[in-house]
Amino acid sequence: MLITGIKSKPVYTPLSADIGGRYHLMLGMGVGAAPLLRVVAQMRTEAPSALANTRVLYVPPSGDAAQAHVAEFQNTGVAEVRTFGNAQALLAAFSALLTQALMGTRLYVAGPESFMGLGMKIALQFNLNKDEIRAEESGSLARRVHCVHCRAETEDVRTNVVQCVGCSRWLLVRDHYSRRLAAYMGVMADAEAPGELPPIQEVFA
Amino acid sequence: MSESQTIAVQVAAIEQVTPLIKHFTLAPLDGGNLPAFSGGSHIIVVMRGATRTFRNPYSLLSPPNRLEAYEIGVRRMEESRGGSHFLHDAVRVGTRLEIAHPVNLFPLDKIARKHVLIAGGIGITPFLAQLEDLHGGAVPYELHYSVRSPAHAAFLDRLRDREGERVRMYCDSAGEAIPFDALLSTQPLGTHVYVCGPEGLIRRVIDTAKASGWPGSHIHWEQFSVPPVGDAFDAFLAKSQRMVHVLPDQTLLEAIEAAGIDVPYLCRGGVCGFCHTRVTGLDGELIHNDHYLSDAEKSACKSIMPCVSRARGKSLVLDL
Repeated sequence: MLITGIKSKPVYTPLSADIGGRYHLMLGMGVGAAPLLRVVAQMRTEAPSALANTRVLYVPPSGDAAQAHVAEFQNTGVAEVRTFGNAQALLAAFSALLTQALMGTRLYVAGPESFMGLGMKIALQFNLNKDEIRAEESGSLARRVHCVHCRAETEDVRTNVVQCVGCSRWLLVRDHYSRRLAAYMGVMADAEAPGELPPIQEVFA
Repeated sequence: MSESQTIAVQVAAIEQVTPLIKHFTLAPLDGGNLPAFSGGSHIIVVMRGATRTFRNPYSLLSPPNRLEAYEIGVRRMEESRGGSHFLHDAVRVGTRLEIAHPVNLFPLDKIARKHVLIAGGIGITPFLAQLEDLHGGAVPYELHYSVRSPAHAAFLDRLRDREGERVRMYCDSAGEAIPFDALLSTQPLGTHVYVCGPEGLIRRVIDTAKASGWPGSHIHWEQFSVPPVGDAFDAFLAKSQRMVHVLPDQTLLEAIEAAGIDVPYLCRGGVCGFCHTRVTGLDGELIHNDHYLSDAEKSACKSIMPCVSRARGKSLVLDL
């Protein structure tokens, strides 16, 4: 019942430093710290001067590991490390940074897929293209689902079928992704036969 | 593109705008409107000379919303194979020509946050049409226009009247130069740069932008190569079982066309890739003059762009 093979589904690749860029902006959340730290380590060997033009915006996980990650970033010699309590606060700061940013900026994003999608949605508004953004998923694949009927977005969806927070319709979650909305499309699952739903399973861990 | 798809036009006006550049207005022979186009488009002008036919690309410089006539600017090339000399010397008001439908290989990016246009000399022409699209819009833009001397600044009055401070002029004769580094290292995110003009200018803009960290998708350029003159050579067309002889000042594409064989093309300047032709046999070397094939493809010698490239040696076999 899950519709796959749709081309708009984003494909992520392991992060690496793009030293052709002049300024480097990193967005991370939770375990997304690891791929970003890998990029910073690569810079240190291949282009140490890039570190002075690298800024990290990070939402640490709660607990002891959090401070360890932040300290790790700070020890690398990057120009700035800013931490945020949640994704919304980070994305607001990111958006403000982009209004001042210059051509030559590269963006690195790592974390849960929905967080990355929201970051790249903002980047798109500033006309950053594929060759300026690198993204690696690390963390939850839970989806933001856009209801094609009422246009409400249901967050943190882990199942193939979900009830829309806006109109209460049961939505089938498709692989059809909108970069502009940073969400997967959800279409009414029981439109043909009201009440007949496919088995609901957790598919996006 | 083939002859049946051309549009018959008549030269409605000719103006000498600089010592080297003439401005031609081409109106459709049957009245009415010409096909719509977007800023940055070019047409191919078909010129039937006494001994041969020239087909050269020229950017449209007229406003894209004005379709009663097209306007082009033609620089008289010192090393012309004949096309620009034909337009400058043999064409009068009233001369009939054929043109191909406009094609845009140099469009503006629709979602750019800012446009920086850089023109050198006759390279101003595509920007004149693009400025019509940009003027009055919400997206900021600026034009940097470099010329040899004030006398060579074609269309400057029209630009200054219309665009004012958005146009910055640089005259070689006054020792002025575009500040490439300062210009390209201070642009806001989401800016696109467009450059048209001599090869050195294009190279400089691409290199400086890349050194400032610009990704390729934000750098746009257009340069129609003038097909260089070379030694005569022969090409065997395997499918048609025909041998064609290419004269020193003729292009391979022209020689193939003269033999009555159609090769699809759009730009005739080594840019678009449309006339890409497979090389199935070669005893000698290819002289690649296009901007389309990658360096690896060029050295592989498996394909050629016959609009600008040539061969030297004993034999060349094409998959035509």
